[in-house]
Amino acid sequence: MKRVQFNRPLLPFLLILPQMAVIVIFFYWPSAQAIQSSFYIEDPFGFGATFVGLSNYHDILTSAEYLKIVNFTVIFTLLVTVLSLSIGLLLAVKADKVIRGSSAYKTLLISVYAVAPPVAGLIGVMFFDQHIGPFVKLAAWFGWEMRVGIDYWDTAITMITISVWKQIPYNFIFFLSGLQGISRSVVEAAAIDCRSPIRRFWTVILPLLSPTAFFLLIINMTYALFDTFGIIDTTVKDKAANNPITLVYKVYMDGFRGNDIGGSSAQSVILMLVVFVLTVFQFRFIERRVHYN
Amino acid sequence: MNRTRFFDHVVLLLGVAFMVGPILVAFLTSTHDPYEIHMKGLMASWGNDFVQTYDKVLFEKGGFTGKVTGLAMLKNSFILGIGFAVGKIVLSMLAAYAIVYFRFRMGVVFFWMIFTTLLLPLEVRILPSYEVMTKLGLVDTYSGLIVPLLASATGTFYFRQFFKSVPEEILEAARIDGAGPFKFFVDILVPLSRNMMAAIFIIMFVYGWNQYLWPMLMTTDEGFFTLVRGIKQILLVWVGAQIPDYNQAFALAVLAMVPPILVVIVFQSWFIKGLTESDK
Amino acid sequence: MSGHKVLLSVSVAAGVLASSAAQAQTDITWWHGMSGHNGDVINEIATKFNDAQSECSLTPVSKGTYEEALAAGIAAFRSGEQPNILQVFDAGAATIINAKGATIAAEDLIKNAGHEFNRDAFIAGVRSFYADADGKFIGMPFNSSAPIMYINTQALEKAGVEAPKTWEEFESIAPKLKEAGYVPLVQSQLTWEFTENFFSRNDVQFASNNNGYDSVIDTTINVTAPEHVMMYDKLKAWADEGYFGYYGAGWSDNQKVFEENKAALWIGSSGSFGGLQKTAQMPFDATFLPYWNSIDGAGVHSFIGGAALFAMAGKPDAENNCTAAFFQFLTSPEIQVFYHKSTGYVPVTEAAYGLAKEQGYYDEKPVAEVGIKQLSLPGGEWNKGYRLGFYPQIREVMEREYGRIFSGETTPAEAMETIKNEADQLLSRFAKTSG
Repeated sequence: MKRVQFNRPLLPFLLILPQMAVIVIFFYWPSAQAIQSSFYIEDPFGFGATFVGLSNYHDILTSAEYLKIVNFTVIFTLLVTVLSLSIGLLLAVKADKVIRGSSAYKTLLISVYAVAPPVAGLIGVMFFDQHIGPFVKLAAWFGWEMRVGIDYWDTAITMITISVWKQIPYNFIFFLSGLQGISRSVVEAAAIDCRSPIRRFWTVILPLLSPTAFFLLIINMTYALFDTFGIIDTTVKDKAANNPITLVYKVYMDGFRGNDIGGSSAQSVILMLVVFVLTVFQFRFIERRVHYN
Repeated sequence: MNRTRFFDHVVLLLGVAFMVGPILVAFLTSTHDPYEIHMKGLMASWGNDFVQTYDKVLFEKGGFTGKVTGLAMLKNSFILGIGFAVGKIVLSMLAAYAIVYFRFRMGVVFFWMIFTTLLLPLEVRILPSYEVMTKLGLVDTYSGLIVPLLASATGTFYFRQFFKSVPEEILEAARIDGAGPFKFFVDILVPLSRNMMAAIFIIMFVYGWNQYLWPMLMTTDEGFFTLVRGIKQILLVWVGAQIPDYNQAFALAVLAMVPPILVVIVFQSWFIKGLTESDK
Repeated sequence: MSGHKVLLSVSVAAGVLASSAAQAQTDITWWHGMSGHNGDVINEIATKFNDAQSECSLTPVSKGTYEEALAAGIAAFRSGEQPNILQVFDAGAATIINAKGATIAAEDLIKNAGHEFNRDAFIAGVRSFYADADGKFIGMPFNSSAPIMYINTQALEKAGVEAPKTWEEFESIAPKLKEAGYVPLVQSQLTWEFTENFFSRNDVQFASNNNGYDSVIDTTINVTAPEHVMMYDKLKAWADEGYFGYYGAGWSDNQKVFEENKAALWIGSSGSFGGLQKTAQMPFDATFLPYWNSIDGAGVHSFIGGAALFAMAGKPDAENNCTAAFFQFLTSPEIQVFYHKSTGYVPVTEAAYGLAKEQGYYDEKPVAEVGIKQLSLPGGEWNKGYRLGFYPQIREVMEREYGRIFSGETTPAEAMETIKNEADQLLSRFAKTSG
């Protein structure tokens, strides 16, 4: 935290109160219910419940299918995070640099963020349609027979491409606003000290950008884990079958569509614990290298 | 120098093509008829149904009550987008301000409590959330739609990152000038955060704008339909044995993009101001 | 069809309420999982009902997909905000029917409101699917469909063969169809067309406890039945020979091959023909879903697919009476025929079927009659329906394993073992939900 701070006993509580109130009512209360449900097998309509202790957890953690989904989720999350962060950063750096046409580039690149998720999914799926998709035809031209919806990894590639595409503008916006927050005198001074633009970027600009980058790292990770389920749903056309899916999609499938409240709650709790450990790890080890001042 | 600049433009143009190309194709596709789209897929040419399709999605009264027109859905999406973005910025700036700028032992605890909300998305806890909302009597209200979505950490986390990177000297100087917490926040921190607020506003506006599952569960009155709900309504028949009106879905999607793009353009000027202004 | 005629005949059916003195309207709501054109038709039906009488005012609300509608209904019920009527799809039937106390049996509701209820008025295939073990209607059959076989008439002519009635016949003509340059057979949903309705059409037991009707305790699924494994062995062999094309679990990816005139036979839904008329690039016809001649007693009617309407419990009598009046209205022949013609779903009553015939609808569109004819075939022992808990998840397990069969990762026998294991586990979990 800052060395210099205000010292008022009551004010910070007042400032944080609205946010905390919303979170307690709309996050902790329902989440507590989800945790409680995870120890029961419950009639969806609420007529009966059998306390089963940890057996929901046991069932899910010993399922080979679940472990396969864990595996895919890790690969998917890594690829989506790395690709969308690096492409977003590249475009933001370039857009920050050019003068002619810069606002046109920015508007165009940001505007893609406005595409509604079901439509992003639909466009993506049509591009990769196994019969008429232009990308599939392109791949066939190179001798690669893409069979989206049948072949596990071909479907995975489709999901990753659409998910990255959808997330690039997000990273672009924040990297750009971070870059524009760097004062020009710093950039000019750096230009004199260090002539190689690439080294300048690594040694001066990137450290200054690191608070934003750290924020985006965590946000992108949660995006890939959680917010891609609409894209997955459209890509598999509502039928997961033997296609790759992520953990959240499994929760959604079992809980929301399959009405297995206990089982899906246990999965939510597992997911929450894993992501919690992961982020604590990131705060402990990566945030140390973040340059705040 | 010229060569680098040329290279920069090439990268940007490639980026734009990759990002915007699909949108353009979606727009062109929306001018064709649905059966053609079903059989031939995306279209790269101008079709004959532009006026008819857009007139239909904008003005035709849909739904049982006739309350579902493109314009009515546009209005609801706006309320959701703006309500959510403004609410988020206000709540999260205040919270981040408390966490970063005050000697406040509970600050770290509160930060982690807020941060934890990133770990379980609404979709996963949607049924218990719904129960809470009915207990509070917020079903079929705009606040019921907006407020629960505010229970997430993105904004607070982001402003924390930004506030922490604001040079310490600024606060020191302000305190020497005798500025209190309120004055410092309003006169110094808010103006400094303009870029960040613009970025958050765009993101949150679009996030609220694009909500689907929550509004679907929370409202039973057709008067609350949003554009994204309208799009989903068209595409859902996919699952059955029918052919969806792809043209209308794409047309609605294009319409749904216009207001967020306007928001982007308006906030562009903030970005550019940030560039030209003197150093902070 | 003249709207007025419908209104007149129906206001009589809407009944007892009409005689009471004018009073405040009773509002009832109907949550459904239909959208697009089918959603518009629901709105039209509700409007017709509201215009036909003055006591009740019905408001339909689309709640997304079938799954979303069920989840929304469940969430609402737990909070006491449930609608009067909830549409629940075939695979979700066990969930709602086993939650005794969540619904009022449609039959009781209608009788309590003072109407008559005659089970035999419904066509054979519809009678038991949403009923309890004693045959009492719990849900009101609404949109019903059957898996039928669409025929590319050009392809068959070119190959010089007749449409197969049995899978044996298919086996004998498949080489000719292939030679003629077509994929002989495609389908759109293996679980519905080659598992559930394999068991119904061939009259094989699908699950223990009388297909799950008698009890949830110790119910097990019978996918490992030798006949069923044989069906998939054959499908796999046909796929390897090029007699059967599998294009993933997505419905339309498979349908498209038929539409593009590349396949000779397609197993689709009886409701598909409306869309197919606009997209098929060749003339087509339809006939029943084939069965195996080699299985004793095969050739009976299939299960109904689609969804039913359930009257939710916890509502005041006045509203329940309105729901009953609406159910009566819905099953009147005029409304059934209207619904049949505008959506492609089959009529659920004999009277409605008769009316559609009388109006010459099937002379005009013979394909529209195939589904209802198949559902009117004689009944067998095991084709009344199935009542399996967590069935949506069981379907997902099947879809996953079937995909693996065709990608060569597993054999049909192994796949069925895996499905049986996981499904039986889910079923025993479901047995615990009732506490």
